[in-house]
Amino acid sequence: MIDDEVSMYPMVPFTALVVPLQSGIVPDGGRDEIFQLIFTVFLVLGTTVGVVVIGYMLYNGYKYRDRGDQDDDGIDRPELGELPEGGGGGRKLALSLLLSAAIVISLITWTYFALVDVERTQPAEAENALNVQVEGFQFGWAFVYPNGNTSDTLRVPEDRMVKLTVTSRDVFHNFGIPAFKMKTDAIPGQTTDTWFRPNETGTYQAQCFELCGAGHSAMNANVSVMESGAYEQWYANTTPANTTSGNATGNNTTATDASATADNATAANNGTTAA
Amino acid sequence: MTDGSEPTPDGGYAGTGDELPAATGEGDHATTESHGLPPYGSVKRWLVTTNHKDVGILYTVTALFFLVFGGVLALLMRVQLFTPGSGILSPMGYNQTVSTHGLIMVFWFLSPFAFGFANYVVPLQIGAKDLAFPRLNSLSYWLYLFSGLLLGVSFFQGGTFAGGWTMYAPLNIPTYTPSIGASTAILALLLFVVSVTVSSVNFLTTMHRMRAEGLTFRRLPLFTWTILLTVWMMLFAFAALLAALVILSADRLVGTTYFASTSPGGSILWTHLFWFFGHPEVYIVFFPALGVMAETFQTFTGQRIVGRKWFIAAMVLVALQSFVVWMHHMFLTSINLQIKTLFMATTIGISLPFDLMVFSLIYTTIKGRVRFATPFLFTFGSLILFIVGGITGVFLGAVVLDYQFRGTYWVVAHFHYVMVGGVTALIGGLYYWFPKMTGKMYDEFLGKVHFVLYFVGFNLLYFPMFVAWETPRRVFEYPARLTAWHQLATVGGFILGASFLVMFYNLTKSLVDGEAADGNPWAYSTTAEWAVPSPPPLENFPGVPSYRSGSLDFLGGSPEVADGGEVTDGGTLTTHDAGTQAAHADEPESHASIWPFAIGVGAFFVFLGLSGLQEGSFAPGIAGGVYLTLALVGVAISAVSFVALGREHFHAPTGPFGESWPFEAIENTKLGVWIFLASDIVLFGAFIGTYVFIRISAGWTGWELVPGDPIPGLMNTYLLLTSSFTVILGLVAAEKKSRWGVVASMTTTILLGIGFLVNKGLERNHLFHEGIALSSNVRTSTFFLTTGLHAAHVIIGLLIAVYMLVRAWRGAYLENERPLEYFGLYWHFVDIVWLFLFPLFYIL
Repeated sequence: MIDDEVSMYPMVPFTALVVPLQSGIVPDGGRDEIFQLIFTVFLVLGTTVGVVVIGYMLYNGYKYRDRGDQDDDGIDRPELGELPEGGGGGRKLALSLLLSAAIVISLITWTYFALVDVERTQPAEAENALNVQVEGFQFGWAFVYPNGNTSDTLRVPEDRMVKLTVTSRDVFHNFGIPAFKMKTDAIPGQTTDTWFRPNETGTYQAQCFELCGAGHSAMNANVSVMESGAYEQWYANTTPANTTSGNATGNNTTATDASATADNATAANNGTTAA
Repeated sequence: MTDGSEPTPDGGYAGTGDELPAATGEGDHATTESHGLPPYGSVKRWLVTTNHKDVGILYTVTALFFLVFGGVLALLMRVQLFTPGSGILSPMGYNQTVSTHGLIMVFWFLSPFAFGFANYVVPLQIGAKDLAFPRLNSLSYWLYLFSGLLLGVSFFQGGTFAGGWTMYAPLNIPTYTPSIGASTAILALLLFVVSVTVSSVNFLTTMHRMRAEGLTFRRLPLFTWTILLTVWMMLFAFAALLAALVILSADRLVGTTYFASTSPGGSILWTHLFWFFGHPEVYIVFFPALGVMAETFQTFTGQRIVGRKWFIAAMVLVALQSFVVWMHHMFLTSINLQIKTLFMATTIGISLPFDLMVFSLIYTTIKGRVRFATPFLFTFGSLILFIVGGITGVFLGAVVLDYQFRGTYWVVAHFHYVMVGGVTALIGGLYYWFPKMTGKMYDEFLGKVHFVLYFVGFNLLYFPMFVAWETPRRVFEYPARLTAWHQLATVGGFILGASFLVMFYNLTKSLVDGEAADGNPWAYSTTAEWAVPSPPPLENFPGVPSYRSGSLDFLGGSPEVADGGEVTDGGTLTTHDAGTQAAHADEPESHASIWPFAIGVGAFFVFLGLSGLQEGSFAPGIAGGVYLTLALVGVAISAVSFVALGREHFHAPTGPFGESWPFEAIENTKLGVWIFLASDIVLFGAFIGTYVFIRISAGWTGWELVPGDPIPGLMNTYLLLTSSFTVILGLVAAEKKSRWGVVASMTTTILLGIGFLVNKGLERNHLFHEGIALSSNVRTSTFFLTTGLHAAHVIIGLLIAVYMLVRAWRGAYLENERPLEYFGLYWHFVDIVWLFLFPLFYIL
């Protein structure tokens, strides 16, 4: 899902893309900011269009309501058994269609730039990203870190890009963290990629968004965003053989200054950074 | 008919155009006795009737039953969702409820409800006396009913299907949904698809061939237009679903491994197959509603539809485009960015014709005489709901937003607004055509009460879903802060359900002692169904409908003339039909046959019995024995019924018809065969596409072909090609009136076909001895199932050929060799399919 290069696009139109990207028209930044902006614009425009069109409908329905008078207003009305003729009004229709097409197409084109933005990752960021594999199963999630450690809680450092490669061990699931506006299918036998960059510490929920059996409603996992130092400390204390759970105290390695609580460690990180 | 001086029941005034001949009498005439049709009050009538009006009523009533069934399931869900967390349903119970609510509403309610009207109204609108194949029409109804019964039975076989109406793989295979009821539900849907295919062939033949003189396609009423496009879409889309269901049934019942977790691409394969069907399906269910909207907007505004020809063009565009948008249901799968972009573009593209149609309807109200009678309240309301639903669909088309909306209640709210918005229009159609179908007028005040409750309940139920959109689909746990919205929705659901109680009361009471309705209770209606009494007589029209003069006339003036020949006004009916049917012109048309019902019963038992299969055999013991017996009983009933159907003397409406372009030279049965074959092509296309998809996923060149030796396949190719040649010889012999020639050719064809099957059997034996079985792996699965489907077509062909051989022996086909021609078409098709399968499975 992530293309590090967008080189398949011809360069000339691409320069046209670059200008909007740099001018701030296209939302940039975290996925949630992109989503919020686009959603809000759609909501405002959609509501406006809906109110205008439905209002116009109701207005016409009221204005031209039959008042029971028999007066022949000179308009040729449909008769039983007649053959339909054109009906006219083609120009008005064409104009309305053109207007709505213009609105819809420009909206979608605008979101397309955002889509491209979301799908690309900046090279510098990509190198520094934390890669985690996510495996869905009936009915939970397993997170596999680069060092081979498997956890049932997704622990990530704040302000750093996290790239997820998602798959399933059994049926079709969908992994999503609503707080970070990130979601992707978990398909057995295939992988899908996605990313997010959390910028606030805390605990969040990951859920399953594709019906997968009896336990679907409860198929959640915790996502714990930690300060970088705390994260590094926790990560250093994990080994491939371990499955660390949400409130383990990480006292299973020989690191000398491993502290008991991972969540509020001071920034006494002394360089045991595992990649 | 009014002379314009009195208001019609909806408050408008009928136009005073040319007086159409007053049709006398109402209901059945004395002439019906000779058609073998029992009177309305008897049960037997409903079992044997093949008349399109009766079948339409059957469809409508049955569909309303399924509406209640699906609605009760929905209310169970809403009760569960009143507060987050578990409730009255267990998790598996909830999943079953969710899944069957979707299946019932989409399949067993929506389209059949629309086709109740299509059955009743389309022949009247186009000026036909019935559909092209009345017994097939009845058959498609009984298959529908029995498929619904089968679904009902599935609840009692260890729980019904619980994997969502979308039936994603591999959740849909026995490893994850082991209950027998789940298999039965799949088989029920399969039987339903058979019913739909039969119906599509019937409607397509009818609408293309049997239109009244002067009724070219451009002049077709808009409701008929929408049905025409609906059945074209149905023909191709349902064939893809049939393929998916046959493959899934094979995985569940005989042990193939298409969708197993370990099979390459299995999960994605299902999404492609299902959504290739699934997207056209949503237009299939919406288009009839669109047709009702078009009809009622014209009638109740007293204005002709604005931009009619653009409206038609937009509909045709949507029908075509509907087949190229399906991957917007797969934006979060592993498809790449370029494909996502393409499908985003096509999805937005398909919204544009809808914009045009919406504007066309709105502009029609301008300078109109708008009467908000109940039918128009509902269709006007449905346009409002559709606009809301359509706008929210644009949100989903923006991929970057869809990334969030996937699997949430935004999707649920969107599709309920558009689909139940369509239902709203169909309810309008029910009120609109109720006087025509029953001869009684419904109570207008109660109708308005229904509408108010309905509209309030609808929006209270579905709008909060937009606000609470973050709720994941198909769960009963949701964030506590969304509780108020869900509670609102539950209340709305019950109000919506209660509104239907008003409707049922209104319609039943009106049926019993409502005011009598005359032929045309609506001012400004234009289509032919309003030019006949309410309800119309069995033969529909008092003469032959014709638009030759520029408006509707009935030529001849007495029913007997309508079968063909000269008309008493001195004109001649234009004859387009190249040949003549066997001397049917003097015989009255038939309207009754018990065999469609019997076939329905047989099919029910066959599929019920098959549900007991596991890994290709029935379980040992009593349970397995019961299933096997049921299946055999079903086969016996079906076989007897099919033969009886073939031997029955049944006279369907014959030509010549007014307008048959572009099929003037092809008679009804031949056209029906061609259309059926078109559907079969898509079926095999889906199977072959599936094979190619899986083989590419697994690596094309590394795939070891299952049959190690291509020689048996080559021999089979020669056998089949020769048998096609002998069929042609049989046709030539029949044209030369040589009885022995026909017998010899058919015998040779049958022997060659048997040779093909024996050769296949030997080949399979050989493979089994090498340890290669159907369920060994996905290579064997694809080989055996695809060639097995082909072999099933050969077997059916041979059964038909044996029947024809017996008849040829007795001298049939010498006067009328057409059945041989039809068989030949089918047989050539089967051979051509083999010419595709042989290289793919034996050589490449």
